[in-house]
Amino acid sequence: MGKTSLVRRYVESIYSDTYHTTIGVKISKKVVQVKNSEVNLVLWDLYGEDDFQRMHWNHLQGAFGYLLVADGTRPATLDKALALEQKARSEVGALPFVFVVNKCDLVNDWQFDPALELQLIAKHWTILRTSAKTGEGVEEAFSQLTGKMLG
Amino acid sequence: MAFPLQTFFRELGYALLEHQGEGNFVLLSDPPGWFSELWGAARCGDAKIPLAEKSPFLENFLAEAQSCWGSPQTGECRSEVWIESTPAGREIPLQATALHAEGKQLLALRSPDREYGEQVQVLQTARNALLEHEKLQREIQKKEILLHCIIHDLSQPLSAMRGSFDCLATETTSEQGQKFIALGKLATQQQESMIRQILQVFAADLQATMEVEKATNHAPDLLACAQEAMTSLSPAFEAKRVNLILDPQIDQQASWHVQGEESRLRRVFTNLLENALRFSLPGGNVTVGLQADGEFRKAYVDDEGPGLPADMRPAQMFGLFSKGKEGGGKAGLGLYFCRTTVERWGGSINCTSLPEIGSRFWFRLPRAAAPVDSAAPGHKHALAVPDGKLAVQGRRAMRILFADDQEDIRTLTKYQLERSGHHVHAVPNGREALSALLHEHFDVVLLDEEMPVMGGVQAAHAIREGEARLGSRAFLIALTGNNTEEDVARLRGEGFDAVLGKPFRLEGLTDKLGTAGGTRALTSMPQKPSLAISAGIDDLLARIGGDKKLLHQMIQTFLRDTPKRLTSLQRALQRKDAAEIASLAHALKGSLGIFLAQHAHDRAQELEELARKSELSGAKLAFAALKEEIAKLEANLRGYAMQTQGERRASAANKAKRSPGKRKK
Repeated sequence: MGKTSLVRRYVESIYSDTYHTTIGVKISKKVVQVKNSEVNLVLWDLYGEDDFQRMHWNHLQGAFGYLLVADGTRPATLDKALALEQKARSEVGALPFVFVVNKCDLVNDWQFDPALELQLIAKHWTILRTSAKTGEGVEEAFSQLTGKMLG
Repeated sequence: MAFPLQTFFRELGYALLEHQGEGNFVLLSDPPGWFSELWGAARCGDAKIPLAEKSPFLENFLAEAQSCWGSPQTGECRSEVWIESTPAGREIPLQATALHAEGKQLLALRSPDREYGEQVQVLQTARNALLEHEKLQREIQKKEILLHCIIHDLSQPLSAMRGSFDCLATETTSEQGQKFIALGKLATQQQESMIRQILQVFAADLQATMEVEKATNHAPDLLACAQEAMTSLSPAFEAKRVNLILDPQIDQQASWHVQGEESRLRRVFTNLLENALRFSLPGGNVTVGLQADGEFRKAYVDDEGPGLPADMRPAQMFGLFSKGKEGGGKAGLGLYFCRTTVERWGGSINCTSLPEIGSRFWFRLPRAAAPVDSAAPGHKHALAVPDGKLAVQGRRAMRILFADDQEDIRTLTKYQLERSGHHVHAVPNGREALSALLHEHFDVVLLDEEMPVMGGVQAAHAIREGEARLGSRAFLIALTGNNTEEDVARLRGEGFDAVLGKPFRLEGLTDKLGTAGGTRALTSMPQKPSLAISAGIDDLLARIGGDKKLLHQMIQTFLRDTPKRLTSLQRALQRKDAAEIASLAHALKGSLGIFLAQHAHDRAQELEELARKSELSGAKLAFAALKEEIAKLEANLRGYAMQTQGERRASAANKAKRSPGKRKK
């Protein structure tokens, strides 16, 4: 899906085309300016939940918000993201989040159903199309999340 | 003792620390190299190290560790693996274990470098395989769509050609002209047959790659399939004066059920028989036989042709595009279809020359237990009525709405149908068909599946939805270039009563219209509802104090709302929203219970239970079964509603007759 790539693009401004699976949690930090004050962001890159791994929800305890990431070229990951959001809500309550649909550079393989997008917008979700590869939407996604977390 | 223990921990890669409170630690042994790499040089007994401040993960883990340290029982609490980065950018996996001993709050940190590497490698391989699988599935889907488009485009001109020949045949009287027309028609038939074969072969291949074979549950009867294929081909054999014989040695009382699927098994026999006919001379024999073969059942088709070509191995005959005997086969797809189909069901297929006689093509399939419903008396080895159509005598003129985006097809079909005495209104898309239906009543609606603006399936949905409200029902025929058995089943599931492959023959269309005539006759004289539903309705009627008007309203509400609920259920299934599925299935179950539709009610309950247990893998099947049961119930309720409506009208008419004084002057 590209969670690690998104974080690397945001924190280090680099991108690698090679896919590396993540086991465990990776933590990165970034200091950002919000309205003349410095905000220290601590980013927890949690591994993806799929047939091979299950998430440990205690990592979300103490979080101020989260990016929910799906791969726009793989409909199964979109379904999974919707299920994760529900699960997160039941585990830690309603945290601010931004739904990021990644890999928008792969226009020909894009499978994010516009009808679903409309449904989610109707539920007041913030949805952003990103590409860790080109950088499109990445800064915006983190910035929107930061804004939401600061209220 | 302290010195060797410290060395022991360091050599094992552990940093052993004691918690001093507020996230500060003291090292109990000299740490391994990675510790200094991450958090600076440190030695055993150094002043407090603020680890929680240095590592947000550890800060979070301390909450869990505290519960372990505060517990009176001994035990440990282990974190997940997390990754810390050194200032130089090197990533180090770590795992923490909290334990308490002799009143001390201990924390052991270690880097599971090697195990972690192996774990990542295994997971990476699994995920790469998954991605590759998904990619292949997408490729297959794209190819399938492309194939169907090609078939559709290839089929379209054939409809126009065939229609033109049919029209010409009625205009031309010269013998020579009729001969040329017959030749042209034959060529279109051959091309159509080739297109169909290509579609069947590739569709079967694609299907096999996409999903696990489900067909083995059906256990078709080998003998019945052989007989049906023989019946359907008997005109061709008669035309060539070749005798088609069922081997009298076959034990008619034995069980010939095998693993497979009935329609495809029939197609296997048909292909083998067509192959045998192609190489038979007039007066020759083609014999179909069956034999028990251990755990298998074997079928063979013997011909008296020239035998197998000397330069080909028997197995080569079943290859893709293999044309078999010299100068013989057509596209080389028929036998390939047989091989892929039989092998998919765990069987085998081959052929051999019969010295001085001809050749034998045979296949064998694992035997299977007879399905429960085939044990009914009279069912065994009975020949099916071809295509299950209703024979309709004395066809009458019908009002037909015909939607097709191709103008030539519209013109020709309209011309042909009007010559047959029907009234035809032709439109270029589904939306115009819906608009026409608002102003005029039609007995039959013919809809091309693929049209711009609004396709046939979408139009069919809208028509059926409207009918559910009005309580009437038109006979819907789908016209499609994608005419495999799966497509026919799919289109029937979308609400069509019949499916006609493009290019279609006038006779084929006339047959379907005949079926429509039969169905129409049924709709004007509705079938009596099944005993079960009739009993259910009577019971319901008694429960509502015999208020037939209220009952009618309840039925109409059910017929109106249920399709919407099923659509919502389908969407919830697609979203894998277990809670929503359970809630919708529960609501449906309630409605079904009102009509005492036990089977449908049980299916809804099954689906609800699966959803409550989040066992969504079986939910799709349960949903399909529920839909099937609901379709039966809807048909019965619709029949009941129309019957009672008819009775009410007749009663009203009688009343009017008895009270002439009340008539308007």
